[in-house]
Amino acid sequence: MSSAHSLAVSVRSVDKAFGSGEAAVRALKQTHFEARKGELVMLVGPSGCGKTTLLSIIAGTLHADAGEVEVFGKKLHSLSHGELTRFRLNHLGFVFQSFNLIPTLSVAENVAIPLILHGLPHAECLERARDMLARVGLKGREETRPNALSGGQQQRVAIARALVHTPPLLICDEPTSALDKDTGATVMEIIRDLSRAPDRCVIIVTHDHRIFKYADRIAEMEDGRITRVHDDPSTIDTQYS
Amino acid sequence: MSDSPAAAAAPHEKHAAGSRHARGLPVRARLFNGGLFRIGMNMLFGDRAKLAMLLCGMTFSALLMSQQSSIFFGIMGWTYTPLVNIRSKIWVSDSKVEQVNDAKPLRDTDVNRVRSVDGVAWAAPLHTSLTQARLFDGNFKLIQLIGIDASTLAGAPAVMVSGDLEALRLPNTVIIDEFGAERLARTDPATGKQVKLGVGDTFELNDQEARIVGVCKAKRSFTGGPFVYTTYDRAIRYSPGQRRTLSFVLAEPAAGEQPEAVARRISATTGLRAWTEDALSTNTFWWYWVNTGIPVSFGTTIILGLFVGIAVSGQTFYAFVLDNLKYLAALKAMGATTWMLCRMLVLQAVTAGLIGYGIGVGLASIMGRKMAEKGMPPFVMYPEILIGTFLLIMGISLASAAIGIIRVARLDPASVFRG
Repeated sequence: MSSAHSLAVSVRSVDKAFGSGEAAVRALKQTHFEARKGELVMLVGPSGCGKTTLLSIIAGTLHADAGEVEVFGKKLHSLSHGELTRFRLNHLGFVFQSFNLIPTLSVAENVAIPLILHGLPHAECLERARDMLARVGLKGREETRPNALSGGQQQRVAIARALVHTPPLLICDEPTSALDKDTGATVMEIIRDLSRAPDRCVIIVTHDHRIFKYADRIAEMEDGRITRVHDDPSTIDTQYS
Repeated sequence: MSDSPAAAAAPHEKHAAGSRHARGLPVRARLFNGGLFRIGMNMLFGDRAKLAMLLCGMTFSALLMSQQSSIFFGIMGWTYTPLVNIRSKIWVSDSKVEQVNDAKPLRDTDVNRVRSVDGVAWAAPLHTSLTQARLFDGNFKLIQLIGIDASTLAGAPAVMVSGDLEALRLPNTVIIDEFGAERLARTDPATGKQVKLGVGDTFELNDQEARIVGVCKAKRSFTGGPFVYTTYDRAIRYSPGQRRTLSFVLAEPAAGEQPEAVARRISATTGLRAWTEDALSTNTFWWYWVNTGIPVSFGTTIILGLFVGIAVSGQTFYAFVLDNLKYLAALKAMGATTWMLCRMLVLQAVTAGLIGYGIGVGLASIMGRKMAEKGMPPFVMYPEILIGTFLLIMGISLASAAIGIIRVARLDPASVFRG
C-alpha cells in the first residue's frame, strides 16, 4: 500500500457483528482494507462474506463494533450521527443495485437531489443536473420519468446523481447486476470515464466478473476478511460471478 | 443506450467549480429548503392513487366537521329565535323561568309593577304560545302566536315584506312571517296548485277568523311553527282558555340607564326575573346545550369525522411513507437528515390537509347554500367553525405525518444496501 497522504479509505481491524449472544453473526472479523485516491477498487466475494457490511461501514451508514475507519482523513468512528450524515452528504456519491430513483420525480430532479440536500437554489440544481445528464449521454431525457427509461439508462441517471456534487468517494453496490452484458459494460465505461480523477476514489462491490477488467485493484473477501488483493485484475478467477 | 456517454464524458476537473461550490457549501439545518419541499410535493402529487385516498379522508373529515357544526349552531340559534324576532332590551319573566321558550305565566298586574321601577322608560305585555291554525283546506298547522301591546306595538316585527304593521290594530288581524305564508299555503281551486298566503287571506285560530294584514321577515323557531303576530288582547282570544296569559313583560331602560342595571333593579323590586336580551339568549342556548341531546348527537358525529379523518388519512399516509421507504432510505444514505425528511413529510401531510380542508369546507358551504334556499336544516357557518375545522384538519395532518415520521426516524440508511 502507499503512503498515508494518498490513502482515501483506511479500514483497520474492524469487527462487526449482528445480533447478540449465541445468535450473533460476525460479519466482519478484524478486517483490513485500503483504497487510494485516484483508483477504482472492487470488493468481490461470495454472498454473505461481508462485502456490503464493509461498504456500509465505509459509507458511514453503519457503525463498526471495533477498529478504525478513516475516509479522506475523517475518523468515522469518532463522528456523531449528525456529523456522519454531513460527511456522507459532502464526501460520498452512491450508485445502488436497484438504482433507487424516485419514480414520481423527473430524471433531472432525481439527479439534482444531492445538490438540493446541500441547499443550493433549485434552478441551479436543475441546471447542473442537466449538465450531468448530458455527460452520461441522456441529453433530452431530463423531464422523463425514470420508469420510462431502460435499466441501463436508469443506472446512468443513478451515476449522474452520484457524481453531480463531485464527491471524492464513489460507492457502487452491484451497479451492473441488474443489467445485461453490453449495458453493464457501457455503465462501467461511464463510471470509469467520469469518476476517474486524481483525488477521487471509487469502490465497487460486485459479483459480476465481466466488469473486473475495469478495476485498478480487486480485494477478495471471504468469511468477513479481506483474503487477497489483486493488483492485476486479470489474475483473479471468475468464481464469484 | 442512445449515444456515446464516453464521447460526452468530461473529466472530473471539468466540474471543478461545481466541486468547490458543492463541497465548500456549509450544510445547515435550514427551516425551508425549497428544492427539498418541491421534491416532497412531486412525490405526493406523483402518487395519484394515494393522494386521492388521502384527500378523501381529509375532505370527508372537513366536510363532516364543518357541516355538522354549522347545522348544530343553526339549530342552537333557533332556540332563542323569539329574542331575535321580538326585540326588547329587557325581558321580565317569572322567577322560575330558565329560557325564553319556557314561559311561566305572570299576573297582568306585573306589567304595571315593572313600569313602576325606577329607570324603566316603558313596559309592555307579551303573550307567546304554541297553538294550532286551521287552514283553508281544513288542515291544522302548529304556529307560534305572539301577542304584542296594541298601543305601542312593542315587540312588533322589524321588517315587513308586505302589508302594514299599523293595520294590526284592525279587528281579527294578524301578521305572519314568510315561512308561515308558505307553510299555511292554500290550494288554488282553479289550478290545484299551492299558493302562498298573502295580505287579505284568512285562516282560523281557536275557531275565530284571523285575517292577514301583513307578511314580515322572521327567523325560524325551534318548534318549527311560523310566527304569527297579533295584539295582546286578541292573542288571548286566539289561545285556548288559560287563567294567566301574560308570558313576558318587555321593558325599555330610560335614557342614560344601562339595561343590566335596570334589570337588576326590576328583579330586586318585583321579585320577578329580569333579563337583558343577551343574558336570556345565552341562558337559552346553554339550557338546550345542557338539557337536550343535541350537543351529544352532533358532537358524536363531529368526533366521528375527526377519527375517520385520522384513521383514513393516517393509514393512507403511512402506506405512502412505506411505499417510499427505500427512496427515503436512499435520501438518508445520501446525506438527508431525519429532520429534513420529517419536514418534508409534514409538508406533504399538511398540503394534503389544506387541499382536503378546502374541498371539504367548500362542499359544506355549497350544501349549506342549498339548505339555506330551502330553509332546512338551519346552517350557520361561523368563522370560528372554519377556524376550528382548520385546526382539527391540521391536527389530523400532523398526526398522519407523525406516524410516518416515527417510521422514517427509525429508518436505517444502511438498509439501502440490502436491496
